[in-house]
Amino acid sequence: MSAPSIAVAIRAVAATLAAVAFALPASGAPDFRTEVHPILLKCLPCHGPDEEARMANLRLDSIESATGRDGGHAGLVPGNAAESRVMARIRADRNPMPPVGERLSTEEIATLERWIESGAGYERHWAFDAPLRPELPPVSDPSWPRNDIDWFVLARLDREGLRPSDQADRYVLARRLALDVTGLPLIPAEADAFAADPSPAAYEALVDRLLASRAYGERWARVWLDLARYADSMGYEKDTLRTIWPYRDWVVRALNDNMPFDRFTVLQLAGDLLPEPTEDDLVATGFHRNTMTNTEGGTDDEEFRDAAVKDRVATTGQTWMGLTWGCAQCHSHKYDPISHEEYYSLYAFFNQTADADTNDDGPKLEVAPDVSTPVLEELSPDKRRETFVHQRGNYRNPGETVEAGVPDAFHEFPADAPKNRLGLARWLVSERNPLTARVAVNRVWARLFGAGIVRTEEDFGTQGALPTHPALLDWLATEFMLGGWDLKTLVKTVVTSATYRQSSDASPELLQADPDNELLARGARFRLPAEMVRDQALAASGLLSGKMGGPPVMPWQPPGIWQVVYSSRQWETSRGEDRHRRALYTLWRRTSPYPSMTTFDAPSGETCTVRRIRTNTPLQALVTLNDPTLMEAAQLLAERALAESGPGEEEVLERLFRLVLTRPPTAAESARLRDLRAEAERGLARDAAAAAKLASYDRVLYTSARRQTLVADSRSEAAEWRFTTETPASDWTSPEFDDSHWESGWGAFGRGDGYKDSLSSDWSTTDLWLRIRFDAREPGLDGFRLEVRHSGAFAAFVNGVAASGDINGSGSHSPHPLPPAARAALRPRGNVLGIRATHTGLTDGARNIDAGLTALRPPELESAGTDVVEKAAWVVAANVVLNLDEALTKH
Amino acid sequence: MKPAREIARRQTRRHFLGGCQLGLASMFLGSLQPTGAVPSRAMAPKAPHHAPRANSVIYLHMAGGPSQLELFDNKPELRKHSGEDCPQHLLDGKRFAFIKGVPQLLGSPYEFARAGRAGTWVSELLPRFAEVADQAAIVRSMTTSEFNHAPAQLLLQTGSQRLGSASVGSWATYGLGTENQDLPGFVVLVSGNKTPSAGKSLWGSGFLPSVYQGVQCRTQGDPVLFLSNPEGMSRSLRRSTLDALADLNRLEQRRSGDPDTLARIEQYELAYRMQVAVPEVMDISKEPDAIHSLYGTEPGRLSFANNCLLARRLVESGVRFVQLYDWGWDHHGNARQTDIRLDLPDRARDIDRPAAALIEDLKQRGLLDQTLIVWGGEFGRTPMRENRQGDKTEYYGRDHQPQAFTMWLAGGGIKGGVSHGSTDDLGYYVDSDPVTPRDLQATLLHLLGLDPYRLHFPHQGLKQRLIGPTDEGRVIEELLA
Repeated sequence: MSAPSIAVAIRAVAATLAAVAFALPASGAPDFRTEVHPILLKCLPCHGPDEEARMANLRLDSIESATGRDGGHAGLVPGNAAESRVMARIRADRNPMPPVGERLSTEEIATLERWIESGAGYERHWAFDAPLRPELPPVSDPSWPRNDIDWFVLARLDREGLRPSDQADRYVLARRLALDVTGLPLIPAEADAFAADPSPAAYEALVDRLLASRAYGERWARVWLDLARYADSMGYEKDTLRTIWPYRDWVVRALNDNMPFDRFTVLQLAGDLLPEPTEDDLVATGFHRNTMTNTEGGTDDEEFRDAAVKDRVATTGQTWMGLTWGCAQCHSHKYDPISHEEYYSLYAFFNQTADADTNDDGPKLEVAPDVSTPVLEELSPDKRRETFVHQRGNYRNPGETVEAGVPDAFHEFPADAPKNRLGLARWLVSERNPLTARVAVNRVWARLFGAGIVRTEEDFGTQGALPTHPALLDWLATEFMLGGWDLKTLVKTVVTSATYRQSSDASPELLQADPDNELLARGARFRLPAEMVRDQALAASGLLSGKMGGPPVMPWQPPGIWQVVYSSRQWETSRGEDRHRRALYTLWRRTSPYPSMTTFDAPSGETCTVRRIRTNTPLQALVTLNDPTLMEAAQLLAERALAESGPGEEEVLERLFRLVLTRPPTAAESARLRDLRAEAERGLARDAAAAAKLASYDRVLYTSARRQTLVADSRSEAAEWRFTTETPASDWTSPEFDDSHWESGWGAFGRGDGYKDSLSSDWSTTDLWLRIRFDAREPGLDGFRLEVRHSGAFAAFVNGVAASGDINGSGSHSPHPLPPAARAALRPRGNVLGIRATHTGLTDGARNIDAGLTALRPPELESAGTDVVEKAAWVVAANVVLNLDEALTKH
Repeated sequence: MKPAREIARRQTRRHFLGGCQLGLASMFLGSLQPTGAVPSRAMAPKAPHHAPRANSVIYLHMAGGPSQLELFDNKPELRKHSGEDCPQHLLDGKRFAFIKGVPQLLGSPYEFARAGRAGTWVSELLPRFAEVADQAAIVRSMTTSEFNHAPAQLLLQTGSQRLGSASVGSWATYGLGTENQDLPGFVVLVSGNKTPSAGKSLWGSGFLPSVYQGVQCRTQGDPVLFLSNPEGMSRSLRRSTLDALADLNRLEQRRSGDPDTLARIEQYELAYRMQVAVPEVMDISKEPDAIHSLYGTEPGRLSFANNCLLARRLVESGVRFVQLYDWGWDHHGNARQTDIRLDLPDRARDIDRPAAALIEDLKQRGLLDQTLIVWGGEFGRTPMRENRQGDKTEYYGRDHQPQAFTMWLAGGGIKGGVSHGSTDDLGYYVDSDPVTPRDLQATLLHLLGLDPYRLHFPHQGLKQRLIGPTDEGRVIEELLA
């Protein structure tokens, strides 16, 4: 774009924005949706649909009510602002409306006045009428559009006096497509083939290839699971783990099989109500079994069953219709047409299932031996619950009875449909539903462009943002429905558009004119979601496992994250390839989610998350710089680049760069990375130990392989201890102490049912003294750690030196690193570990003590020769490449 | 309540409901930030709603529910009737976590005496607190609706008994940012060897952007997760990598024009400074002996005392909100370690000296009048003895009691020596000036210069507030200096 045309464009944008923000010259009726309605929203909390909050018996949310035709006070006289009481109250010198906060501006008051003068025309909220197929608008340059999407986008740009950006570089497009469709980067060879063939067929072929890859289902399942508030635990205080991964796998399969979205909907909401449902149809109903279950003692099951039902109502409204139904649980919605009673009519649909906040988390379906997953199950007709309005939202305070039904403001419930979840699901995916298709296409658009056509993805109601491209939204929605709710085709249509293919580079002028890219005069650019940050690094380094589905896995996380009161489960790092599965498969515990992903804004899974709010924090930098998982990826990335390229530095560097970013580095980028590498190499040549540590990935993550047992606890082979229940002499912890008169017994010690499988020796007294001899012969042992499970208090000593202790029992083996003094007291042979255990009575008669001692063998370092220094320097370079802003960004 | 205040409050309510107030929320949602991205300076200091009385908060949460009847709420009548059956009218319609049948009343085995010029009743278990009692306002009329640990902790700390809401520390940093950009604005320290019942959700940001979640500083391993460079990566090598990273990012930024890239460069520099600033502030070993003996601290130990000293160091360094959790106050009396005679004195001793030291130390540094200290648990304990095992048990303890418990506040904006509210002769119900978690939250925000009725964030169609959807919560004027 030439300089003068930019200036024109900016003026045009400014003029348009001004037209939206301020009143037009005082002639003609203002636009109700963009000008009048935002002002009226300020009145509706006290003069809206909510009867309880209504003041002065005045409503302003429709022409009937505002003119008093519904029996209330008349606030407006259409065509006569001077006679309209509303204007007088707004203009009053004393106590003007609204009562507090910002006064209405002069412009706003003038707008209202012109609106009333012109007849006070109300318009129904755009999103509550079904979308109609729009005509394609005329555009300035019919050669630009590649498909219908582009006509709408270009028409808007024409109006604003802007031009679309050029198509992005082929390598940039390749990476963009791969990340968007599959969540994984492309291998360089495939990107090269793509870059070499600029034909439309090559572009389409890559899109088809990516859509057909099974990684597509994994990437888009994650989007859906945010809505489903999927997690592998039950929530609340105990937050017990739950087996619901069969539902997660069903979502991946359904998306990969391209199940039509209407069927996808019906199965999840009501698969159990279909005639002769298959096992898969039942597993799909796990969607609404992701609600939380409270297994804490003394809780009222009905309270939490009610909470789960309300969560289902809110989640259904958010997920399918982009509406905030949850607001109406205490009172009628203040802005949208859903009354308090209508909310409980929706509640009634979900109030007839058999699950009831019980410890067993039932009903469940056995999908494989020993694998049962929660499913929905309708109560038999004789056990159906009555549904009441809950006054002020409190289930203990029932009002009148209601029947299942949908809000009046929307299309009718299908006459032939049953008044149950199945009927509701069919109502949701009816072509007459104004919102379901719009919300679905908007969601796909938002994941691809970083923001929806309706920016407030979670709110299509009257308080939400207006669509930036209303006709485009309706075109996509109708196209989606006409095409049989085909999600892959929807994705393909969007990513093959010229709009999508634009470069995301922005000139300062364009940035100023449209900082948030609402007009789409450029491609999208935004930070990768948490899962992609991890998956990309693992894929680039070759670590990523391709294994799909199955139980969730525990990739490495720092020790001590899972120390919660009632936890009997430990985070035990998975073995083999399970350490490097896609982020989707990481075990998700609601009260203690995987830390490096929450740092990148992954939701906890406590409630339905429609859009993640992206943050940019120093804690994120710490993760990508220092998390051993990312560092391990850097190490393997360096190795891979060295192995897969020629010997020249330039070749290795290009390979390394391209494994992450797909495109080759520029000359300037190469030069800067070479400088860094040389600088690192110079420094590391002087510090062989540092070089060896950086070059060797056998460090933190593989420590489980290096961990050696010095004293076995009952989880492995157990060990034979000397013990006594009589108070021994004070030097009983010393290696020289003579314990020959003590008895012998195998660990663990204790009694009671809780741990009986692990108990070998009975312990019935209050106090128990234990001694065991051990060696620590191997040189270089480090990371000594007691691992102790105990009911009451214990104190541990190594060679007479205090090593650890705890007065609060722990349900599972907790690590206790040896303090420096105890560590210093160790010798190669003949050490003694002494433990005094005290029964504190907390657990009645039951008691137990089980202890072991482990240490880390030193890593097998390569000899710190030139090779090691060179490799370490490459690892440093790889660490930087994985942290590039571009690497963390889709653009 | 004063009429003038009532009007102001009603107006505030209408103001809130009126939706005129975009304020902070508009930084994140709605038309001004349609892409849902948070400005990178989200933690920069922000102007409060009104002049603050306190700049920072140290909240000492005794997880489990400490017994007010042994510590602050002196009940001679209860002692007189100790061992008698509990009157039936006190049991009707009540739910208990563990009490079954008709329990016996249990008087406190501890002596109480009046402390300080104000003559505040304090138990013999808290001799050091008695010495600083004139600095604190005691609320003996706390009352909550939740009788299980996790929901009660969540209600107090996040304003909702269910998971998913934002904690009070998150609200504080969302509203005010923080003074020192090299340290997290909201720090959590845990002692007693256990995370409290409700887990990390207690310091989660819920629906607020995750930048506002509490950062747990740990005394073992990295004080902040992933703070240390990988082994072999020296600080100077890290500096070189960050220089290269910044140069490369600037090259990219010149091409793309994306301002977020510059923000990211800044975050990496912040992280680099945090790598030094956090370990420095977490290292108490260089504190003088006098300070160690004041608090009873011992470098390297995991203790409430160490955490109190750390809290002072953090606040002194400009951290907005420091939340301490001390686990082990659930004195049911079903074991030695939950016995009010055998264990509670130890627990009280462990916190008495450091908590009093915190008040004195902040005062001698001139920081007390701008630092608000809050002490308390999630509920109280019953005047009846809990006896789960019938007559078999030799231990003494009490069940959960949501109806009445005690908290104290001291420091910024608090009137010292106040005793607010009271309970009946048996210590069962509040009989004057009840204070709810919402009142406490409203007071806390108010002291920080935030209007509890206005401070909100849009989520699921509602303007979410710490004090909940209704305006029941009120600032407790009686506690204010």
